[in-house]
Amino acid sequence: MRLRLAVAVLLGTLAAATLLVLLAGASPAEALAALLRGAFGSRAATGETLARATGLVLSAVAAVVAFRAGVLNIGLEGQFLAGAAAAAAVGPLFPDLPLAARGAIVLAAPLAGALQAAPAVWLAETRQVPPVLSTILLNLVATAGVTWLVRGPLRDPSGDYPQSRALTDGALLSPILPGSRATSAVLVALLLAVAAAFILSRTHAGLALRAVGEAPRAARAAGLPDVRLRSGAFLVSGALAGLAGGLEVLALTGRLYDPFTAGVGYTGIAAALLGGMTPLGGAASGFLFAALGAGSSALQRDAGVPSALASVVPALAVLGLLLAKGRPGEVR
Amino acid sequence: MTSGPFALELSSVTKSFGAVRALSGARLGVKAGEIHALLGENGAGKSTLVSIAAGLLRPDGGQVRRSGTPVSFPDPRAARHAGVALVPQHDLLVDAATVADNLALLDPLAPTFESARARRARVDRLARPSDLDLGSPDARVEDLPVGTRQRIGIAGALQTDPDVLILDEPTAVLSPDETAALFRALRRRVEGGRAVVLITHRLAEVFEGADRLTLLSRGRTLLEASVSATTPGAVAALLLGGAEITARPAPLSRSEHHAGAPSALSLGEFRPSGSPAPPVSLSLEPEEALTLLAIDGNGADLLGSAVAGVRPARGRVAVAGKSIAPGDPLAFRAAGGAFIPADRRAEGLVPGLSLAENLFLRRPPGRFTIDRDALAASAADRLRRFGVRASGPGARARELSGGNQQKLLLARELEPPPALLVAIHPTRGLDLASSEDVRARLLDAARAGAGVLVVTADPEEAQELGAPIRVVYRGALSPLLPSATDLGTLGRLMAGLAP
Repeated sequence: MRLRLAVAVLLGTLAAATLLVLLAGASPAEALAALLRGAFGSRAATGETLARATGLVLSAVAAVVAFRAGVLNIGLEGQFLAGAAAAAAVGPLFPDLPLAARGAIVLAAPLAGALQAAPAVWLAETRQVPPVLSTILLNLVATAGVTWLVRGPLRDPSGDYPQSRALTDGALLSPILPGSRATSAVLVALLLAVAAAFILSRTHAGLALRAVGEAPRAARAAGLPDVRLRSGAFLVSGALAGLAGGLEVLALTGRLYDPFTAGVGYTGIAAALLGGMTPLGGAASGFLFAALGAGSSALQRDAGVPSALASVVPALAVLGLLLAKGRPGEVR
Repeated sequence: MTSGPFALELSSVTKSFGAVRALSGARLGVKAGEIHALLGENGAGKSTLVSIAAGLLRPDGGQVRRSGTPVSFPDPRAARHAGVALVPQHDLLVDAATVADNLALLDPLAPTFESARARRARVDRLARPSDLDLGSPDARVEDLPVGTRQRIGIAGALQTDPDVLILDEPTAVLSPDETAALFRALRRRVEGGRAVVLITHRLAEVFEGADRLTLLSRGRTLLEASVSATTPGAVAALLLGGAEITARPAPLSRSEHHAGAPSALSLGEFRPSGSPAPPVSLSLEPEEALTLLAIDGNGADLLGSAVAGVRPARGRVAVAGKSIAPGDPLAFRAAGGAFIPADRRAEGLVPGLSLAENLFLRRPPGRFTIDRDALAASAADRLRRFGVRASGPGARARELSGGNQQKLLLARELEPPPALLVAIHPTRGLDLASSEDVRARLLDAARAGAGVLVVTADPEEAQELGAPIRVVYRGALSPLLPSATDLGTLGRLMAGLAP
């Protein structure tokens, strides 16, 4: 049943993608070859996929943790930005101590992500404000905050552009695949996905969390600490997204600029959905989205297909999955 | 009664939900001018069958005929237009909407744009002729008691004056007087040539008020007969066939074992938030049971839920001698309290988790990680001891029938043995065998040392429990009554009349 569903969605997505490529006037086979070459064709290409996967995998896991606890955290984007801003603020404080800079970033970024989520947690638990609303609004606050920070307090005084001071090369994570942008950050993301999967399915806290997420009133009546569990999951979700932002600075950009993200936090939610709201499924979809992103420039360059197509295809896959999993029009 | 084609006839109906086969060749024939009772144990498929009749579900196989003509209802609206209306057991009202808006939603003939005044006028129009209390037109449905919600559902279904009105367990929440009034109203309807289908577990009602009956068992129709052609004994035997019945509960007698132990429950000046009633003070000793008997909407279930901490309240609460803050389910549990809520689907179980996970929500075996082998083994053992019929501990709670869900809940709440058990409508919607079993287990819990507080709307259940009764009327508690108090007295007290 599940397999048939997956196959149907896969086939439907492929058909739609083929049609779109044909509409763009290119050959589907060439387009696929170009896409794969761009994503995995060389060490640099594979590295690019892995580098892009870090943020997507962590965002997807963050989305899963919150959603499974019953919290629709749409604020991953803002929490990601908060983590990146924190990294850009603390990293340059230790110009001669690269390890201290890394340690400070790895501590400060999750903390900032959790703090960015905290107002929504408080509003949800004390004022019944739906997190969907509060987190979307907090995303706007975070985006504006980054704009202000890179022009104000964090601005690099030596540069012409509105951006923060750069981390020293010693602080930046070095590539695990020489000659590529892939760093150990992707391993951290994978490890956290595995840890989240284990905690959700195999621990007391994970069971309680799933119960609170699915049936909050029943969980509360059964004596589970519902407020603590839900708030905790929300904050952890924010921390994971914040860590994703911090690792983006530490592994790839070395500094904060504006605009800093092209929707990693939102794509993470889509990846979590495509992954069936499980940490490992979300991580796998995160890799898929990363590969499509990495391959998209080759798609445009080599096959003449607009690179935007590479983000349309996964979106169609998510929609197809929702369509297939949705129930027929019966009142349940 | 007319002969000829049935007003509504379902034949050879099959329906499965995933791997669970709910109906396998069920039949229901309803004639114009009759009250037709639909009987069957929990999980027999009664609700599924009437949902198919009313267009809420589509059958996998079989036929639906309306006055001899084959029909298929793609949705409830189509069924309503064909003159078939269902009032479901768990009402489908919109909680956040007002009474006026809900009734407008239930009216398929309502104009697309309708003024608020016209919607309020509808409430009045529906309430007045039969003197129904539908609540204030502007009241939000979530603030209304279950009994009022049910009347809104029935009034909503009657707006189109359906030829076939189907009521899924309408009397479970009604007092004896209200039940009698309902049957009088239904009799008037069928005398005008319409038909009524009634799902109920109460055989006395069937033999007093219905014309014919259909008995379902495990998805099949076992019996279709005129009420006059059969006997309650024969039907009860069929109903209980295959179901294990525990021995009749022995009366409680308090041992000296727990003498000197703190009260299982003591309430001082206790008042649930939003209750207009005076504060309540009472205490319940270990090994003691108390039945609060009330028509829904009189605050008895509110009181029970507030004691368990799931509704806010003021006053003093002590469970097993430990003082706890009102409105805190965690503190209630920590002090040794256990709770069977009225709505087992929303407040009892987590439908998507396995039976084993539901049983061990709070303390699964294993120190930090869950010991899955131990979990499955102890869950299987508990399911067996509590008579939960399921494919195994890995089955999802949502796959169980109502009676088995309630047994699952008991299996969770009664182990480890609680100091206090609060059970609200513990047998509502359960078949005879399951009800007997649940009542026996409640009394067993008392015998094992718990204080047991049962809230029920069923005076016969209050008698059967054999514990002292306090009738609750508009939040006020009557003095202690012996369980042998006659039904007439209980009914008058429940209705707020002098005994």
